[in-house]
Amino acid sequence: MYRYIIRRLIAMPLLLLGIVSIAFLITHFTKGDPLISIIGERQMDNPIVIAAARARWGLDRSLPEQYLIYVGNLLSGDFGTSLRTKLGVGHDLAVRLPATLELVVAAMLLGSVVGITLGVVAARYRDRAADHLARLFALIGSSLPVFWSGLILLFIFSVRLGVLPGPGRLDARTPAPPFVTGFYTVDSLLAGDLSTLGEAMTHLILPACVLGWAVMGLISRLVRASMLDVLHQDYIVAARAKGASEPRVLVNHALRNALIPTLTIIGFTFAYLITGAVLSETIFSWPGVGSYAVDAARSLDYPAIMGVTIVGGAAFLLTNLATDIAYACVDPRIRFR
Amino acid sequence: MRDGHMAVSGTALWMAAPVLVGAALLAPAMARADDKPLVIARDMDINSLDPARTWCDTCQIYVSNVYESLIGLGPDNKTLTPRLATKWESNADQTQFTFHLDPDAVFSDGSPVEAKDVKWSWERLHNIKGGPSFMMDGVKSIEAPDAHTVVVTMEAPNSEFLGILTAPYTGAINSDVAIANGANANADADKSDTSEPWFMANSAGSGPYMLADYKADDELRFKANPNYKHGKVGISEVVIKHTKDAVAQAQLLESGGADVAMQIDPDTAKTIKNDAVTIESVPSYNFVYVAISPGAKGNTVKLTKEVRQAIGYALDYNGTIDFTVGGQGKLQPAPIPNGFPGTADLPTPTQDVAQAKALLVKAGLPNGFDINAEFPNMNVYGVDLSLLMQKVQQDLAKVNIKVSLTPLEFSVWRTHVRGDGIPLTAVFYAPDYFGSAQYIQYFAMSEGTPWWKRAGGANDASITNAKEADLLKQALAAPEGEKDKFFHDIAMEMIGDRVIIPLVSPNVVLAHAKSVKGVRYSACCNLPLDEITRE
Amino acid sequence: MVDAVDTPAAFRRPRWLTTPVVIGGSIALFWIAAALTVQWWPLDDPVASVGRRLSPPDGAHWLGTDALARDVLSRTLNGARYSLPIALAVIASAVAIGATLGAVGGFLGGIADAAVMRLVDITLSFPAILLAMAVTASLGPSLRNATIAMIIVWWPNYARLMRAQVLAVKEREHVEAAVAAGAGGPRVLLRHILPLCWSPVLINATMDFGQVVLLAASLSFIGLGASPPTPEWGQMIAEGARNFYQWWIAFGPGMAILSVALGFNFLGDGLRDILDPRTQ
Repeated sequence: MYRYIIRRLIAMPLLLLGIVSIAFLITHFTKGDPLISIIGERQMDNPIVIAAARARWGLDRSLPEQYLIYVGNLLSGDFGTSLRTKLGVGHDLAVRLPATLELVVAAMLLGSVVGITLGVVAARYRDRAADHLARLFALIGSSLPVFWSGLILLFIFSVRLGVLPGPGRLDARTPAPPFVTGFYTVDSLLAGDLSTLGEAMTHLILPACVLGWAVMGLISRLVRASMLDVLHQDYIVAARAKGASEPRVLVNHALRNALIPTLTIIGFTFAYLITGAVLSETIFSWPGVGSYAVDAARSLDYPAIMGVTIVGGAAFLLTNLATDIAYACVDPRIRFR
Repeated sequence: MRDGHMAVSGTALWMAAPVLVGAALLAPAMARADDKPLVIARDMDINSLDPARTWCDTCQIYVSNVYESLIGLGPDNKTLTPRLATKWESNADQTQFTFHLDPDAVFSDGSPVEAKDVKWSWERLHNIKGGPSFMMDGVKSIEAPDAHTVVVTMEAPNSEFLGILTAPYTGAINSDVAIANGANANADADKSDTSEPWFMANSAGSGPYMLADYKADDELRFKANPNYKHGKVGISEVVIKHTKDAVAQAQLLESGGADVAMQIDPDTAKTIKNDAVTIESVPSYNFVYVAISPGAKGNTVKLTKEVRQAIGYALDYNGTIDFTVGGQGKLQPAPIPNGFPGTADLPTPTQDVAQAKALLVKAGLPNGFDINAEFPNMNVYGVDLSLLMQKVQQDLAKVNIKVSLTPLEFSVWRTHVRGDGIPLTAVFYAPDYFGSAQYIQYFAMSEGTPWWKRAGGANDASITNAKEADLLKQALAAPEGEKDKFFHDIAMEMIGDRVIIPLVSPNVVLAHAKSVKGVRYSACCNLPLDEITRE
Repeated sequence: MVDAVDTPAAFRRPRWLTTPVVIGGSIALFWIAAALTVQWWPLDDPVASVGRRLSPPDGAHWLGTDALARDVLSRTLNGARYSLPIALAVIASAVAIGATLGAVGGFLGGIADAAVMRLVDITLSFPAILLAMAVTASLGPSLRNATIAMIIVWWPNYARLMRAQVLAVKEREHVEAAVAAGAGGPRVLLRHILPLCWSPVLINATMDFGQVVLLAASLSFIGLGASPPTPEWGQMIAEGARNFYQWWIAFGPGMAILSVALGFNFLGDGLRDILDPRTQ
C-alpha cells in the first residue's frame, strides 16, 4: 500500500501543473484587462502609464514567455505577486487558507456529526415522524440558498437578539493574535489570550452553522440511504438475534458499513468548500480562499487565479487520496492496482 | 426510544458547549472598553499603499491621513488652507508657483520635513507613471532653493496647480527612509523603484497617523503619529474594517461593532432606527452619468447629435434620482459637479418625451431603434448601476428606443469601452481635487481626452468641439477671479455635445455613532481622521 | 392504521405514494406548469414599474414591490420560465455527456477508462467557482453561458456514477452469458448493461434538480447569470440582500428556490422507491 501512496503523491505535482496550465490558458484568453486594478480608471487611456504597468508586471511579454517565467518561479516556490493586492500570492494564500480551514472544518464537523446522526435516526425510524422530521430539516438545509439563510440568521441572532456576534472572524476592535498557524483559535490559545479565543469561537458559530446545515443535508441523505441498504443485510439480523442492544447494532454494525460511501462525499465536499465557500465568506466577512478566488477572477489577477487553482487542485487530490486510503483501511475487499 | 433520545440530546450538548464556553470567555472582553479604536466600516478597495502607485477611494483616506500634502481643503470644500506649506505665491501668468514650508514640520520618525523631500516626492510621483502621475503633468521643473522653499515652473499656464496640490497623492514622503528601502525618483523609477512591498507594511509620512497593520480584504489599522506637529489627535487607533455591502455596514453600526459606516445608501439609511446613531445626508461632488458613443462598433444607427438630444430629452431625471437613491441626490446639468467653478446658473436637465419623439422623427428614426448598453456591474456612492440602467431602459422604451442591458465586470467593461466602444454605458466619477479643469480634460470633446477617444472622435470630425480646448487654455491662464466665466462657457458646450449626460449626483450619507464627533465629507480626502473625536 | 391486506386491491395505495411524494409531486407540477404557462396567468408585467417602490405586501401586490416598483409575486412566478428550463438543460446535458463517458470508460476499461477518469479528475479538481467565472468571463455573462459553465461543472458527477454502475453490472452473470453467446461490445453495453444502470442516474438527476437551481441562483447572485431586468431568482435575492429590511423582495425567490429543491427531492425519493425494489 505504501508504494501506491507514494505513486499517487509523485503524480500530484504533474497533475497540478496540468491544471495550472489549463488555468493559465483560460484566464489569458478571456477578454478583460487586469490593469484596471493596477492603474485605476483615470489613467487607463494614457499609453505611457499603460506601457509602464505592462512592463513592470511582465504583461508585455509573449504568452509562452509569461508561462515559462511563471512555472519557473513556481518550481522555486514563488507564487508571484498578486496584481490586485500587491502582496505575494503565497503570502495571501498562507493567510487565507487557515481562515477557510477554520470555517470549513467547523462546518464539516457540525454537518457530519449532525448529518450522520440524523441519517441514522431517519433510517431507524423509517417512515415514522422522526424520519420525516429529520429528513425535512436536513433537506431544508441543503435547499436553502446560503446567501439568503445566512443573512436571515445573522439578522435574527446578531442584530435582533444580540446573542451571537456579527460578521468577521473577530470584533473589528480586537487585533488578531500573533501569527503562528493563522487559525485565530489556535493562535490565541498559543498566546494565552483566552478572551480572543472566546471571541474567535463565538464568531465561528453562525457561519459554521449556516454552512454546516447545507452539508448536513447532503450527508444525512446519503447515510440514510446507505443505512437502509445495510439494515436489510443478514449480519444485522444475526446481531439482533444474538441480543445486541439497538445502539450497538446501529453504530457498530450498520453505521460502520454505511459510512463507506459517505466518506467519499465528506472528502469531496471538504475539498470543494476550500475554494467554494464564497457566499458564506462574503456574507460573514470571512477573508478566505473562496472570496479571494472570486476577487481574483473579477480583476483578472492571473497569479492569484493560478495560486487558488493550485490550492483547490491540491485539496481535491489530497482528499481523494485520503478517502481512498480510508476505504482501504475500512474495507478489506479493496485491492490496489 | 430512550436511546434515540439520548443520542439527540448528546448532540445538542456538543453543540451547546462551545457556545457556553465562548460566552464565558467573551464576558471579560466586553468589560474592558476604555480606549476603544475607532472602527470605520467600508468596502476596502485598496490597490496599493504606495502614494505614487495607489488610486482608489479608501487609498485617498489612507494617503491623506498618513502623508501630508502642502495645501489642504477647508471644511467648505473650496477654500485652500495651509498644511505643510504655510504660504504660497503664483506669478501673474500662472506659470510659476512658490511654496514656503512650515519649518516645524517633522516626519513620523522625528526628522524634519524639508524642501528636498517635497521635490523628491513630486518627481517620484511623475516618474513612477502610476495611477496619480498625471497630477504632475505639465511641470517643467521643481527647485528647492533652500530647505523650506519649493519653486515649481510649469510648461504652460496652469491655474489649477494649487487645487491639484490638495490631492493626497501629492503628499510628502520621508525621502531618506524611502530611498533606504528601495525607492527612487529617477526618470526610470517605474522600472527601478522596488519599494512597493515596503510601503505595503510601512509608512513614512508626516500626517497625523501612521500605518500600524494592513491585511488585504480584511482591515487597515492606523496608529497616531507621536511626532505629529499639531499635537495629539482625538483617537489614537483607527481601524478600517472591510465590509462589502451597505446592509452589513448598517448592521455593524447599529450593533456598535462599527463607529462610522461610509457607504450606506439612502434606502438602507431609512431603516436604521437606533438612537445611538446619527444619519446625515449631505450633497457630494460625485456623480453618475450615461455616455453615448457614436463611434462604437455595435451601433445599429448613426448616433447623430439629434439622436443624442432625443435620448437626453427622453430620460426621467427626477424619477431616476427617486429610484436609485430614494430622492437623496441632485440633478446635475453638466459633467462638472454642482458648486465647482463654472457651474452657477447652468440650465437644469428636463424630460420632454414629445420633443424626444419629434427629434427622432427629424433624424429619420420614427420607429426608434435598438441599442446595446454594457455597463459595470457595480454599486457606487449609493447608486446601483444595474438599477439605474433598468430605469434608463424603461424611459427610453417610451420613445421606442429598445435598450438591451449587459452588466459586466469592471475589468471586462474597461476592455470593451476602450476597444470596440460601447454605444450606451453608465459610469461614475469622483473629483481628484477641487477644480474644474480635471473634468474638461476627461469629458470634453477635445482631441485626445479619454471620452473623445471612446466616443469615436478619432474617426468622426463631427464629434470634436474645438471651442472647448480653446476655452480651457484661457481658463488655465486666467487669474483667480476670472476662471469661472470660461468654465461656464465650456460647461454649456459640453451640455450641448450630449455625449456625457449626468443622471444623478448622489448625496453622501454620513452615518456614525452619536458619540463620535467631527465626521465630515471632504472632496479631496474622503474622510479626515484627525478631526474626529469621541466623547 | 389500516393494514394493506385488508384493503381491496382497487383502493390499495401504492407503497411509494407517501405523503412526501404527493407533496413533492404537486410542488414540482406547479412549478413546471408555471414555467410553461405563467405568461398567461393574470399577473402584473414582471418588468414594468407598477406602483410605489419598496412597498410591503398588500392587497394589490401580495408580495409587495421591489426597488423599481415591480410586483415581486409576478417576478417570482415568472422566474420559473428561466430557472426550470435552465436546470433541465444543465442536467440533461450533464447526464448525456457524463453518463456516456462514464459508461464507455467503465465498459471498455484500460486506456479509455483511465482517460475518462483523468478528465473527470481534472474537471473536479479545478475550483468550480473559478471554472464558472472563467467560462462566463470568456463568453460574456448571460444565461446561456452560465448554463454552459454549469454543465462543465456538473457532468463529472454523472460520469462517476454511471461508471460505478457499469463496473458493478459488468461482472454479473447475465452479461458474461451474453458475451459468451457472441454478442458484440456495443450490443452488450446497450442491451444488457445500461438498462440496469440508468435508474440511480435518473434518481440522482431528479434530486439534483434543486441543487442546479441553487447553483444557477448562486452564479446570478455573484453577477454571472441573467441580464437585468430578467426576473431570475438568484438575481432577485441579490437585490433583496441590498434592500434587506424589505424582506419580501428576497422572500419570494428564496421560497421559490426552496420549494423547487424540496419538491424535486421528494419526487426523487418517490422515484427511488418505485424503481429500486430493494427498498420496498
